Amino acid sequence: MRYQPLLALSACVLCAPAFATQYLSAEQAQQLMFPDATAFRPQPLALNAAQMQQIEKLSGLPARSVNWRVVGAYKGDALLGYMVLDDVTGKFELISYAVGLNPDATVRQVEVLAYRESHGGEVRLPAWRRQFVGKSASGGGLTVGEGIANISGATLSCTHLTDGVRRIAAIAQVMLKK
Amino acid sequence: MNLNKKLIAVALGAAFLSAPLHAGASEKELKARMDKMATELEELKAALKASMQKTAELEARQQQIAATEAKNASANSAANTAAITAAATSAATATATSVATNVATTVATDLANSRAEAARSAPSTIFTGYGEINYNRPTKNASAAQADIRRAVIGIEHRFDEKTKMVSEFEWEHGVVSASDKGESEIEQLYVEREFSNGLRGKVGLFLMPVGLLNTNHEPTAYYGVERNFVETAIIPTTWREVGVGLSGDTAFGLTWDAGITTGFDLGKWDATSEEGRESPLGSIHQEGQMAKSRDLAFHGALNWRGVPGLLLGGSVFSGKAGHNTEGFAANDARVTLYDLHARYTPGPWDLSALYARGQISNTEALNATFVGNPTPVPKSFAGWYTQAAYQLLKSGDYTLSPFVRYEQFNTAKSYAYVPQGLGVETGPDEKVTTVGASLKVGEGVVLKADYQKFKEDKSRDRLNLGMGFAY
Amino acid sequence: MRLLLFVLAATALLAGCSGGDGGSTPATPAAPVSRLSAAAQLGQKIFNDASLSASGRQSCASCHAPDHAFGPVNDLSAQPGGPNLDTPGFRAVPSLRYMEKTPAFFFAADGTPTGGFDRDGRAQSLAEQAQRPFLAPHEMANASKQDVVDKLKKAAYIAEFRALYGAAITDDAEQAFSRMTFAIQAFEQEAPEFHPYDSKYDQFLAGKVQLNDAELRGLALFNNPQKGNCAACHPSARGADGASPLFTDFSFDNLGLPRNQRIPATADPTYFDLGLCGPDRTDLAGRKDLCGAFKVPTLRNVATRKVFFHNGAFNTLKDVVSFYVRRDTNPEEWYPAGPDGTIQKFNDLPPEYRANVNTAEVPYNRKPGMAPALTPAEIDDVVQFLGTLTDGYQKP
Repeated sequence: MRYQPLLALSACVLCAPAFATQYLSAEQAQQLMFPDATAFRPQPLALNAAQMQQIEKLSGLPARSVNWRVVGAYKGDALLGYMVLDDVTGKFELISYAVGLNPDATVRQVEVLAYRESHGGEVRLPAWRRQFVGKSASGGGLTVGEGIANISGATLSCTHLTDGVRRIAAIAQVMLKK
Repeated sequence: MNLNKKLIAVALGAAFLSAPLHAGASEKELKARMDKMATELEELKAALKASMQKTAELEARQQQIAATEAKNASANSAANTAAITAAATSAATATATSVATNVATTVATDLANSRAEAARSAPSTIFTGYGEINYNRPTKNASAAQADIRRAVIGIEHRFDEKTKMVSEFEWEHGVVSASDKGESEIEQLYVEREFSNGLRGKVGLFLMPVGLLNTNHEPTAYYGVERNFVETAIIPTTWREVGVGLSGDTAFGLTWDAGITTGFDLGKWDATSEEGRESPLGSIHQEGQMAKSRDLAFHGALNWRGVPGLLLGGSVFSGKAGHNTEGFAANDARVTLYDLHARYTPGPWDLSALYARGQISNTEALNATFVGNPTPVPKSFAGWYTQAAYQLLKSGDYTLSPFVRYEQFNTAKSYAYVPQGLGVETGPDEKVTTVGASLKVGEGVVLKADYQKFKEDKSRDRLNLGMGFAY
Repeated sequence: MRLLLFVLAATALLAGCSGGDGGSTPATPAAPVSRLSAAAQLGQKIFNDASLSASGRQSCASCHAPDHAFGPVNDLSAQPGGPNLDTPGFRAVPSLRYMEKTPAFFFAADGTPTGGFDRDGRAQSLAEQAQRPFLAPHEMANASKQDVVDKLKKAAYIAEFRALYGAAITDDAEQAFSRMTFAIQAFEQEAPEFHPYDSKYDQFLAGKVQLNDAELRGLALFNNPQKGNCAACHPSARGADGASPLFTDFSFDNLGLPRNQRIPATADPTYFDLGLCGPDRTDLAGRKDLCGAFKVPTLRNVATRKVFFHNGAFNTLKDVVSFYVRRDTNPEEWYPAGPDGTIQKFNDLPPEYRANVNTAEVPYNRKPGMAPALTPAEIDDVVQFLGTLTDGYQKP
């Protein structure tokens, strides 16, 4: 069971130089983000009104949903961080992605699980996703044009994805920060 | 206890019922999913067991406290103990409840996920659209002021399954379409796209040529200025679409490539008596999939590199003959070639772009000899370039104000093939246009624009433009 | 990967296909008579049958000679007809070539009268046009349709006629006459000699021959909207659908031609041939603004003619082109002087209709004293160019 995600990953690698078909699964994503983790525990969040207001204030965006899919990564009993799964609309279609967060609510990694648009697939590029690393909601730099560069021809996808990450960073700061 | 077991049973049943929804998923994925759910179940059971144990321990401790307190028996202590007991009980219940809630939530979330995933992979149809309403006022000729519904477009995209989708776009120009009105209605895109297992995408149908910066990104919210820039309308005939097949793919270091074989142009449509060919040479001979002559097909290729975030460098080439071996036509050997180079860089609030495009039509000597005396023979070459800078000046809530400036230089007839006895038409100077203006974006789908355009050669065209555009 | 390679190979193959030059089909030679339909073959016989006239010596081919582009063989302003071939006519004979694309008469969206057959557009089809010459007193001068059919019954091909239309066809004069004109129409539409498209200009359009220097200059002047501007009514370009140019847009124009005294009818000072508004055509008698306008004819084979315009006013192409260009700058070259010495411009129209004359379009939009649109040398070039429109050009 444990080797399945590894097998899938290596298959993807063999498919390079082209991007592998769409699916990075959630398991693959969490392995990529937390390679030393020994256990992943689902820790879904349910926000209350007050928390949603805080998140809105912090991110400048509506909190959008009450429920959020969060997975905690543990090495033994030590918390390594969290992974939050989410979907946003690009230009017309859904982008499935995951944000890895450190316990201090800074962004650890962003992975795109499924990208369906015909244009703008460059959001999957490591170089573009690296722009998010180390940033936090309060620290700023998580807006297109202010810390995150746009991708020409895919402005909407970039903006929505960046907004999604910023929202998740705000949620992490409000709900998960230790 | 029973409640929790019931919940688990319901969850399992619902999970298996939802299996049929995964219509597009492969067996392998189903199996993986089931395995995943099994693992989660195990974890849940373990967690539940652990919390059960804790509850039991709590109860035991609680009884001990109660017993000790009862030994020291005093009315207050009893009351306190009762309170503590009550608190402990409610805490235990709360823990159990929260565990149950967690289980239910996780299961429900998983259910929602599966439903969402099912929904994503199930066929879906979305409507898209954009529109522009423009006002132009030549500064030296107010009686030529004009307000026009430049275009209204509706697009329908239908996703058949994870890998296959259909894209269509229908357009109406200039407000009213009829034989005696000036409007036109047309099909701008109509193609089917399929994604292959190695990331390659293929499309068949009527689709946009991957040329320049504007052609594939032509919604009014995507460019600066009320009117589309001249280089990408007069030289590159935006919105340029052809019928054929195309392939595209990405590489891991940010390179996107496109290639394809499509219909091309029909030089037999060239009208030397009208001004159309002077406004846009390729625009006057495009076929747009309209019973398009296809004896001569054309190929195109494009490369776009976005390896550095915020930077785009790219280019394209298109080439095809345009005579179609037509009986009695003097230019059956003519070949139309167009190539472009473009760059766009968006550091912080800046949006800088530059583009160069050049077109050539070869073997037009015999045809132009038949056009002597007419005002618009076929040009041998036509070209243009522009540079543009925009800056996001103000951002307040939903509103974003971005002033911009653009300088473009183009010539729709840079050279002609030789015509004897000096009977050809003289080439003219490049037209140079400076555009200064601003865009006010309201949210991300609506834009209000204003700009002023100054023409170097034909000063009667200087004009003020206002426009409203939207895209969704 | 393999899929990619396959697709690329297919791409290369297809691209190769488009580059090849299969060579266009060569122009078909004149089709032998046997390729015409039965009706057209009969039509040809009727067309050439002089016995169908009162004089017994005049057929359609007498005035519309097959070896003169189906136009007149001499320079007479109007051909004589009638029972003794001495009744004078009223209008010059037009060429019958390239008629098959002429539309029936209609008013275009902007009100422009367009189409129709005869110089005033009064006939709606070639069959309709073929009727009058049989019956007109100054043409084949038959007394009635019955008269014509009686002559038909004595023709050598009557058996063929009856075989196609039924043995009883000649019992009904109306029906038989209508079939006769229909057969003539079939002949005019089908026979390749009515639309050969093998002039030097056609071959030049196809990129197969080059025009000589004078002809090329002439074409440039013909097309140039500021010089000859002839192409405005006589289009010289291929249609977008590949159709060869017919050098007419089927419209009508009022040129204010000088009165031709060689037509006997003009001896009567009250006689005026007003084209669209009469006297031959009667349905537009109320449209006084159209008085004096005649159909723009094709210029194909114009160089084979010796008589030009509806009233045969000129006999050389050089005069024709010069008239267009110098009508208003030098009216004294064209019109007679009245008793008081003033030039009687547009004297083939009654005074109340002289305002209808086209004075707005290049090249006849000049005033006296202005330079004409073309110099004499340029006029010669245009005439040279018009010579390229003659069918039957063989590359030397």
